[in-house]
Amino acid sequence: MTTHASASERQSFNAWSRARGWLGNPWGRPRFLPAITWLYMVWSIVPVLIAIQFSFNNSRSLTAWSGYSTRWYWGNVYSVWGNTGLHSALFQSLKLAAADVVIATPLGVLLAIGLARWRGRGAGSSNFLMLFPLITPEIVMGVSLFLVFGHIFTVIHTSTLAQILGHVTFSISYVVVIVRGRLFSIGRQYEEAAADLGASWWHALRLILLPLLLPAIIASIAITFAISIDDFVISYYLSCGGACDTVPIIIYSTARGGPQPSTNAIASIMVFITLITVVAGYLLYRVFTRGESGSGSMTGDLAAFDL
Amino acid sequence: MAGEVQLIDLVKRFGDVAAVDGINLEMPGAEFFSMLGPSGCGKTTTLRMIAGFERPTEGQILLDGSDMQFTPPHKRNVNTVFQSYALFPHMNVNDNVAFGLRRQKVSKHDIKSRVAEALELVQLTGLERRKPGQMSGGQQQRVALARALVLKPAVLLLDEPLGALDAKLRKQLQVELKALQQQVGITFVYVTHDQEEALTMSDRIAVMSNGKVEQVAEPQEVYEEPKTTFVADFLGVSNLMDATVLTRGGEGHTRVKVGEFELDAGRGEAGVESETKIVIRPERVRLEDHGTTGPNRIPGMVERPVYLGNAMQLLVRLASGDIVQVLIQNAGEEIPYKQGDPVTVYMPAEALRVLADTGTAPIEAA
Amino acid sequence: MYPKWLWSSFSLPGVVWLVLLFLVPMYAVIGVAFGSVDPILQTPLPAWNPLDWNIGWMDQVLHELAPGGIYWAAVVRTLWYVAISLALCLLIGYPVAYYISRHAHRTKATLLILLILPFWISYLMRMLAWVNLLSPGGYADTILRDTGVSRLAVDLGLITQTNWLSGQSATVILALVYGYIPYLILPLYAALDRIDKSHLEAARDLGASPFQAFLRVTLPLSKTGILGGSVLIALPMFGDYYTPDVISSAPSTTMIGNQIDYYFHGGPQPTVGAAITVVLSIFLTIMMGYYIWAVRQASKQLETL
Repeated sequence: MTTHASASERQSFNAWSRARGWLGNPWGRPRFLPAITWLYMVWSIVPVLIAIQFSFNNSRSLTAWSGYSTRWYWGNVYSVWGNTGLHSALFQSLKLAAADVVIATPLGVLLAIGLARWRGRGAGSSNFLMLFPLITPEIVMGVSLFLVFGHIFTVIHTSTLAQILGHVTFSISYVVVIVRGRLFSIGRQYEEAAADLGASWWHALRLILLPLLLPAIIASIAITFAISIDDFVISYYLSCGGACDTVPIIIYSTARGGPQPSTNAIASIMVFITLITVVAGYLLYRVFTRGESGSGSMTGDLAAFDL
Repeated sequence: MAGEVQLIDLVKRFGDVAAVDGINLEMPGAEFFSMLGPSGCGKTTTLRMIAGFERPTEGQILLDGSDMQFTPPHKRNVNTVFQSYALFPHMNVNDNVAFGLRRQKVSKHDIKSRVAEALELVQLTGLERRKPGQMSGGQQQRVALARALVLKPAVLLLDEPLGALDAKLRKQLQVELKALQQQVGITFVYVTHDQEEALTMSDRIAVMSNGKVEQVAEPQEVYEEPKTTFVADFLGVSNLMDATVLTRGGEGHTRVKVGEFELDAGRGEAGVESETKIVIRPERVRLEDHGTTGPNRIPGMVERPVYLGNAMQLLVRLASGDIVQVLIQNAGEEIPYKQGDPVTVYMPAEALRVLADTGTAPIEAA
Repeated sequence: MYPKWLWSSFSLPGVVWLVLLFLVPMYAVIGVAFGSVDPILQTPLPAWNPLDWNIGWMDQVLHELAPGGIYWAAVVRTLWYVAISLALCLLIGYPVAYYISRHAHRTKATLLILLILPFWISYLMRMLAWVNLLSPGGYADTILRDTGVSRLAVDLGLITQTNWLSGQSATVILALVYGYIPYLILPLYAALDRIDKSHLEAARDLGASPFQAFLRVTLPLSKTGILGGSVLIALPMFGDYYTPDVISSAPSTTMIGNQIDYYFHGGPQPTVGAAITVVLSIFLTIMMGYYIWAVRQASKQLETL
């Protein structure tokens, strides 16, 4: 049985259904989701871009733009390059990060391999111990190390050395977690193949496992460096005062007191260094996993990345 | 070195579970020997024990007469082709194949010639600079072969090497592998779950289930004379039917009763039980016009014809209630059976086998 | 193929380091919290042996943390800040994570990079950016004033005066949300990404509208992700002190972390600071325990499917 709708009825039906179609389109996406997402991205990034912009301000103001200038970076006694305080903070940050990488990477890589393969007693608790720093709030860690170095074992008082020791302590866990992901995605097959072909365990380790782990090691170096540079709480608690101050400490003190464009400048330099490090790490990672497909590629490693 | 492998009372337990539950196998040299079975039957575990990656819980492994108990994998004259090939991703083909030779401190000059020889053997000359990630599955497989064979092992272990390849490539490589084994003249121990593969390539097959060996024999014997229900069902398709033993006349002279029908079983020997199973291959069952009389004939009805291209498969329900699968080769003439046709099913005595045990057959699909 | 002693020896250096420089200092905090103070030098004397523990200081601290005590306000404020910030983070973060994982096909890579970007920008730099924007005359301050939002916020009682940097809780919450939300969105995205599309397709196939499919399939399956991400940011947020310090630095917005920091850098009384730290750690351990229990419950539910 067919019903005959009048022409006008048919017209209004079409308009209404089209409107409903646009709103309730079963294959379309809700319009507000991309809006929220992009708004979030803008809100997330733009403030920092503005802060970086004002580090190039031609005046001392951080709110009124007077034109482009690099005076806060070099050239006078208030600039990052000219001010010894800022200058030394920059070098201190880099020093700590470099030392952190040099110490934490070997410790972390060994620990990652060891924990992944160790089947004896103590393996479980060691794994738990390794995870602990990742979930400990920084202030708890800072306080604990401060008490140890500042009051109890004052042979190492708060100093650059103490800061380095503190940085390494929280960095090891990051290295382990990053390397472990790669380790799981590699599996045991290549070392078994090596042994099958006549390689002793030492050769299998040196010629097969370590080269295959290299991309993850590089990634962990980049990440450890970046995290160390941006660390505030541990560096602050273990700081010996002026000479031990790092860039985050400088930012902290001046942001509360009265920020100047030189603060923005030194912060911008840090952002730049961190981003370069991360990008370099990523590119090197890609270079070293070139020619691998499926298991061994970054998607495989990221999929295996888990605590 | 003959490449002789002996497994004596081999057991491997993981916790409470026995993956390998007491197997005894002897592989004299230069044989293409397959271990065939479903996943979990213990074939891969056995292979890994021969290679040295797993230590036996009990039992011995002898390679050319020497006990391998204290010999680590890198010192055994045995090489493996892994299921995933395990080609070193960070090395190119040349370095992969040369790896073992370098461990043996062979001279640079000899390495070069032996690598070239091995690559020629697997028809991959010219691909030395490629990395595994840039090659197809079939090419990777050949590199894995070359890498193992270049070391001239006495025994080559292959763990389901063709599993990841498409059907056409698999068939091609099956032929090549068999030819290779005969050319090189060493023992191949081949693990697979594909019974067709095992039948095609092997000199002898060990059919395994639940950590035990059900039967070891040449392919023809395993297919035509299965000793247990499991073997009968695993190799090819088999029509298994419950039967009651009427008269025992020794090997080949058994009379059984299926439903109300009496049949002569011209193969096998019944065991002690009165209830047993009989088995016949689909290609040996013959369909005749409805109403034909004679020995070993049961009336039935065609339930479902299936066209396979090279053959016609018919599911026929017998008057005894069993469903029998019949395979008729496509010889050019039309096969006139349709669904619902009444027929007479003739199971020639010389093709009908009575089994000595009722065994543990896998559940048949309806 | 490897010697049995190899893997434990590999782990040894790292484990020794963590024991000496992580576990021992943790115990030092407890030792100091339950220790005594040298009357002359005013330095803390840790009590290493539990039998020597002096609960005097801890007792006093617990007293002050309880309702009516001097830290009570900070405790309540911290709980509010974390709760509201977490809620806001989820409110904003979930749609973003959802969009990127489910709908953003061509722009997915770009969005992911933008998502990860804040991780590599120093936290303090991000706070500094807002100090710049909200200080009188800054872009944000000007816009909020000119559009009347600042006035509206005062009228609604959200802030007490139109200077957003003058010790306002709303600003601290804004800063906390801004600072921590990237650490929530990423695990949320990972959890949502992992949800098998076929579950949703099955739901739609069986007659559910897109909204219903979301409510009945996606949301429950992302529960562990929500929980994990929330714990990931709530735990550090409880110990945060530098955010209120930088964005507000007024006694009206102190969190419990500020109290701890005060006793180490303000008017040093390490024993009291250590005691508060111990209480905070116990609280966080309980929270962590709840999380692990909840995850186990959730995975048990999934197993029974």
